[in-house]
Amino acid sequence: MIRPSIYGKLKLMTVAVLFFSCQKYYDPTEFINEEDALANESDVETATIGTYAVLKNAAYVRSGHFIMEYPGDAVAQGQSSADDLTRAYRYTHINTSDHCTNFWSQAYKVVAAANNVIEFVPNESSEGLRQLKGENLFLRAMMHFNLVRIFGRPYPQNSGENPGVPILKEGLSDEEAETLSRSSVKEVYDFVISDLLQAAELMSQSKNNSFASKEVAYALLARVYLYKEDQENAIKYADLVINSDRYALLQGSEYAGYFRAQPDNNRETIFAIRHMKVEDRAMSSIGSMYFSGDVSGNPLGQGVSGWAEIYASKKYYDFLNQHPEDLRNSFITPYVVNGELQYNQKLTPVTPMYYVNKYSLQEGLINLSSPVYLRLAEMYLIRAEANAKENNVDAALADVNLLRKRAGLSEDALYTPEKLATAGKTALDVVLEERWLELAFEGHRAYDLFRNNRSVVRDYPGTHSLNNTPTTDLHQEVKPTDNRVVFYIPQAEINRNSALKQNP
Amino acid sequence: MHKSDSRRCAYRRQTLLRYMIKMKIMLICIITSLVSVRATTYAQKVTLKFEQATLRDVLDEIQKQTGYDFLYNSTLIAKEQAISLTVNDRDFKEVLTELLHPRNLRFEIKRNTVFVRKRGPDVNPAPDRLPAANHQQTAHGIIRNTQGQPLSGVTVGLKGTSVATATDEGGRFSLPAEAGQTLVFSLLGYVPQEIAVPSSDGMEVQLFEEMSDLDEVVVVGYSTRKVRYLSSSVTTISSEKLKDVTSNDLSTMLQGKAPGVVVSSPSGAPSSAPRVLIRGAGTISASTSPLVVVDGNIGGNYNPADIESVSILKDAAATGLYGSRAANGVIIINTKRGEAGKTKVEFNNSFGFGNPTTGNFRLMNSQELYDFQTTFYDRDPSVLQNNTDWWGLAFGQGYVNNHNLSISGGSENVQYYASGVFYREEGTLAGTGHTGYNFRTNLDAKLTDRLKASVLINGNVNKNQLENSRTMYDAYTNLPFDPAFDGEGNPIDARFHPNWLGREKENFLHSLLYNYSKDRSWAISGDLNLDYTLTDKITLSSYNRTQFANGQTAQFFDRNTKQGGANGGELRNGTSSSNRLLTSNRVRYADTFGEHDLAILAAAEAETTTSDWSATSGKGLPSGRDVMSVATDVLLSPSGAREQVGFRKYLAQADYSYNNRYFFVASFVNEFSSKFGKNNPMANFYQLGASWILTNEPFWQENRILSFAKLRGSYGTVGNADGISNFAALGLYSITQDASYSGLPGAAPYQKGNPNLSWEKIRSANLGVDLTLWNRVGISLDIYEKKASELLYRQPLVATTGYSYVWVNAGSVRNRGLELNVTSQNFKAGNFTWETSLNMAFNRNQVLELSDGSAIFNPGARQPIAVGYDMDAYNLPIWAGVDPANGDPLWEKVTIDESGNRSIATTNVYSEAATSDSRQFTGTSAAPKFTGGISNTLTYQNFTLSAFFNFVYGNYVYNDTRVYFDNDGLYEAFNSMVLPKGWTRWEKEGDKATHPKPIVGGNKDSNQSSSRYLEEGSYIRLRNVRLGYNFPEKWLQSARISRLQVFISGDNLWTGTKFSGPDPEVSLSQVDLASGVSSFKYPVSKKVLFGLNVTF
Repeated sequence: MIRPSIYGKLKLMTVAVLFFSCQKYYDPTEFINEEDALANESDVETATIGTYAVLKNAAYVRSGHFIMEYPGDAVAQGQSSADDLTRAYRYTHINTSDHCTNFWSQAYKVVAAANNVIEFVPNESSEGLRQLKGENLFLRAMMHFNLVRIFGRPYPQNSGENPGVPILKEGLSDEEAETLSRSSVKEVYDFVISDLLQAAELMSQSKNNSFASKEVAYALLARVYLYKEDQENAIKYADLVINSDRYALLQGSEYAGYFRAQPDNNRETIFAIRHMKVEDRAMSSIGSMYFSGDVSGNPLGQGVSGWAEIYASKKYYDFLNQHPEDLRNSFITPYVVNGELQYNQKLTPVTPMYYVNKYSLQEGLINLSSPVYLRLAEMYLIRAEANAKENNVDAALADVNLLRKRAGLSEDALYTPEKLATAGKTALDVVLEERWLELAFEGHRAYDLFRNNRSVVRDYPGTHSLNNTPTTDLHQEVKPTDNRVVFYIPQAEINRNSALKQNP
Repeated sequence: MHKSDSRRCAYRRQTLLRYMIKMKIMLICIITSLVSVRATTYAQKVTLKFEQATLRDVLDEIQKQTGYDFLYNSTLIAKEQAISLTVNDRDFKEVLTELLHPRNLRFEIKRNTVFVRKRGPDVNPAPDRLPAANHQQTAHGIIRNTQGQPLSGVTVGLKGTSVATATDEGGRFSLPAEAGQTLVFSLLGYVPQEIAVPSSDGMEVQLFEEMSDLDEVVVVGYSTRKVRYLSSSVTTISSEKLKDVTSNDLSTMLQGKAPGVVVSSPSGAPSSAPRVLIRGAGTISASTSPLVVVDGNIGGNYNPADIESVSILKDAAATGLYGSRAANGVIIINTKRGEAGKTKVEFNNSFGFGNPTTGNFRLMNSQELYDFQTTFYDRDPSVLQNNTDWWGLAFGQGYVNNHNLSISGGSENVQYYASGVFYREEGTLAGTGHTGYNFRTNLDAKLTDRLKASVLINGNVNKNQLENSRTMYDAYTNLPFDPAFDGEGNPIDARFHPNWLGREKENFLHSLLYNYSKDRSWAISGDLNLDYTLTDKITLSSYNRTQFANGQTAQFFDRNTKQGGANGGELRNGTSSSNRLLTSNRVRYADTFGEHDLAILAAAEAETTTSDWSATSGKGLPSGRDVMSVATDVLLSPSGAREQVGFRKYLAQADYSYNNRYFFVASFVNEFSSKFGKNNPMANFYQLGASWILTNEPFWQENRILSFAKLRGSYGTVGNADGISNFAALGLYSITQDASYSGLPGAAPYQKGNPNLSWEKIRSANLGVDLTLWNRVGISLDIYEKKASELLYRQPLVATTGYSYVWVNAGSVRNRGLELNVTSQNFKAGNFTWETSLNMAFNRNQVLELSDGSAIFNPGARQPIAVGYDMDAYNLPIWAGVDPANGDPLWEKVTIDESGNRSIATTNVYSEAATSDSRQFTGTSAAPKFTGGISNTLTYQNFTLSAFFNFVYGNYVYNDTRVYFDNDGLYEAFNSMVLPKGWTRWEKEGDKATHPKPIVGGNKDSNQSSSRYLEEGSYIRLRNVRLGYNFPEKWLQSARISRLQVFISGDNLWTGTKFSGPDPEVSLSQVDLASGVSSFKYPVSKKVLFGLNVTF
């Protein structure tokens, strides 16, 4: 019982005060609220940097590299690995592939980030804002293009009417975004082209090659038109880039050191995904799969600085080495100990260890690189291929020879229509060979073959031979009509969105 | 036999009586302070109706109704006869005064005991009340407990008379009695014993503790209760039972000790704390760790050495008041307090050695590996020049060193307890260890008659040396063909060894010379608790705590090692600090109306935690220089953040009981957390509980078999808010380095917001029964159902939303189970006793619903969350064995045709078995069918031998590391395991083998994830065996030592299992990703320890 004294009441009041309310929210320090992220024009620049940052993620860059490059025939996997990258190499795809899941998700994250800016900035705005909107449109197009070439069949097959990938436009509701179905390959290409055209229109600033600008959009348009077999436009946009005078082919030792230098000042690179020194991914980099060595670039055993499990294939190396003076040999570092080439002993026959250094040693860091997505040499090759297909043989060979000269090859090694006739090759054959030599390990080869209705043929040592029994059979041919020319849509995505239909 | 005349005898009896009372008071004081009794409710009103009854009857009835213990010399009231009275709902003190005063008696209440005494100065009993004036004999002897310690204050009475005495501090007694007469020995908390007086010699009597522990007082929620009166499911473990296993971590000690409390350790590293899961996981993405409450407040620091008792609250009625955060059960820890009286100094020490368990696991030696590999691989015989036992080089003998000194004592008004702990364990894996220091001071002071204050301070420092240089990975995978040392005995740097064959070119022994990974932390917590007695019935309390913690981590990879070579040396430093403030303010009202007892509690609590962390890393450090300023460049961008989170809670509870037969408890909690969305930050929880003590019913006949029986039931809701980010509800853009590009700051979408995000809610029901048979066997049985809904779930999103996930409240998971606890005094005779206790728990988990309508979350995961299945059920490509024709691996391939018909065939193509159609539930789960522990304690004279086993049954373990050393030729540059008994390798056509033909480069993906690597994880382990000896007291007296015990103790000496790895124990915490997986296991240590405990 409470005594009715003031004393007691006072004490009760004290308690009541102690029963204070403490309902307070706190804000994070590493994050900002989404409402504040794009609230006014000054936020557009940081948000655009953010879009590039989403692109820079290893889930896109590294996984994308594996699934774009490893199906080609410039690479040889010297030993089995439990990593999902093996499946991309061996064409033993599964629908729960880690790298496909990574790539698919990250690509759409880039698109979504870009869409936020695209939606926020009106077309009629200041030059700076238009530029930024254009950059986001470029990135959105780049994402859709890479998605459709990984998950959709080559454009020439069925004239682009095969299933492509979902098109993620700006301004969709959550519900719409969650139930997107696959557009046709053609629809995706058309969307990509329209974005790139608009991007080129909006962009007027010449940023360095870590960022998109008008010519970057032109360069990707040239590639997209080439893939779409629209030769006229491929030539048109390749010309626009070549003639823009923004870029130059690197020569001599500068060319030989293409991938080691500071990337932003490289005059040949049109667009690279810039990685800073603090973004060295060490053993989890692209380069660690290709190379192990010291900071001077001398090769060392497997596992010292990298896994060094993926080599230049014997097929590629032998082809390149027809001309030992070819400067493009500098991108291969054969693992030689005491003058003796080393072999990965884990398969029979053994695999020669031709290390690839296109993804190593940027700015003196063994595993650092800023993967190059577009560079001037490709523009010449696009023009050459389109010309070859239009039967402009001289024009095609001129561009090919330009690159061969740059690679240090002498007159004897240059092509003439007569030499082609003797060798029984077409202009397209040599253009594709040159693409292979020049753009090896940059994610082109399998597409170049399949979109031209050619097979990937791998008659060289590597784990792809493990698909056969006995393992000494060194033959593998993947026809352009093979189901596994394209990857499975990540099953998890299909489970969450039943509108998505799986590839056969 | 002593001889004495009657005068002396009478005189002594009188002093003995006084002494006895004094002892009882003291003893009660001690016991009550020991168990921290606070405000147990006692009835104040009585209703009586007697005709021609004795005073004793009346007092007994008052005792029954009020719950107070009555102490009196029966001679005082023996002759009182024929009382008739009727009282209705009156204060029992008034009634007592009216009863006793006319009889020249008085009473006083001390603590919870009513002492009835003679009024006035003359308390000498009349001589005629002596049993027999001519007695010449005295019975004398000594009374001990089961540990052989003398018991003081034991009442020794001569049966059928009022002659009684109490034992002195040495447990000795003597009283006049003749041979053949029966003596009754009794002491609170012990089973009374009757023994006939022998014809000669002294008596050696042993008293056994009450097996039921029913009178132990436990802290439940915000109040204390005798176990006897609980309506909820609570397991209490005394410090003695707790501390058999040697560790500096409480959860390790809890393993197997309490039913339904699954403690599992993914690593045997001295720095690794096990996971604790109570009654199964009821969440998908949030925490499954129980809430820890130290000395009455949520959270807090403590060292196991200072633990007085641990209570584990499991059902809603018990966890209720911690409601919103008690979904995973509550572990309540009370630290030791000082006792008024003689200063007590305790010094406990142990020292011993540890060795890794190896179980059924063995790696191949050079010859074995050569023989195996040459069946499929061209291996040069020169590899046999080396035979390196990498496992043996990585794992060796460790040691444990454990010291604890405590001093306690005090006066009536101020009591203190101060303790210091030093614990050092060097792990069995090279370079790992743990060092802990702990200091605690607990002060309790009675400031005025009404105001009590407690100040509790704990400080600790922990240092851990962690695995570095990939020691464990290399121990399991390095080839015995590669040498560890050069000609001069120095470890070889494998990178530059010309003929190194192992895949990783790593020799951890070389790296360990230079590298380290360690962390260091300190924490201080201070509590100030005030209790103010406003009136007899109202108490105000304020419990306040402040906690500071600071941690540092450092990893150094020297430029001379493989790990640091690429970057010319690497150093990574991290710091973190946090501070937490908590206040809990309570009002308690307790009253009694006749046979009705009511206690009401209301409380308000607020808590806020601020924490920050940062990490820097550098590269290009000169060899051996492990400070950041010598780094020549940045390795990774610096990182760091600061954040704050708050909780606020109001609660009310009512406890009601009727006549010590029926008990009811109801509570309500409202809680707010800053973690949740602005639309739903608050939640309400309620709990109800009831119990019925059948044996207190008047209709219950004295039953020799069933001495106690109680039924319990509870129902209620609790919540879960832990384990999710403090900002899980917000839509966020990241502005960290990850969001930057080309060195420019950016902002990138990071998390989708959900303003409706709210508390996870768990509805739980519990039914229990507690029985005591023959006063020797205690049985507790509980069945429960926990249904968690609105689960906090990090729901993966369709990629086209642009986000990976959103935090939602989704789905429902049910856990049902049964728990059994049996304690039994199997045998006692003379100096020999045998006690057994057994606990077992069965839990079944099932996902009931996933609210977005999907049947499965995380499809493709090894343990997806699927409706209708156990959360821990495995879903994998199904291993179909080895093709006898060619040694190919086989899996099941499921085909579903157009009309939905499912057919199963086998395939040797893994990609066909790994499709979503072909992946199947294996019918096995990482969750055990049951878990438990059994302990046996044998005591003979001064020796005590105890053995404690824990067991886990019916779980399956995914033995992930077999991918590396059981790979059918895929990794010829890794060592292989020796196939355990029963496993066979395919060699020729027709072989029915468990293992495929080995092929260079692997046999068709045979080591890819499949049910092949699932193994039965059941085990039983001799967790501890201990032999102790208490030195006889007479030897110690001269040294003023009150107790001296030596012991030898062994931890984990034996494990019975079929598991092929070194140690079958894995995390059983269900939700975390490591659950059920054994991967490069740091096996638990077998320890042998020698100990010495001294009390002054």
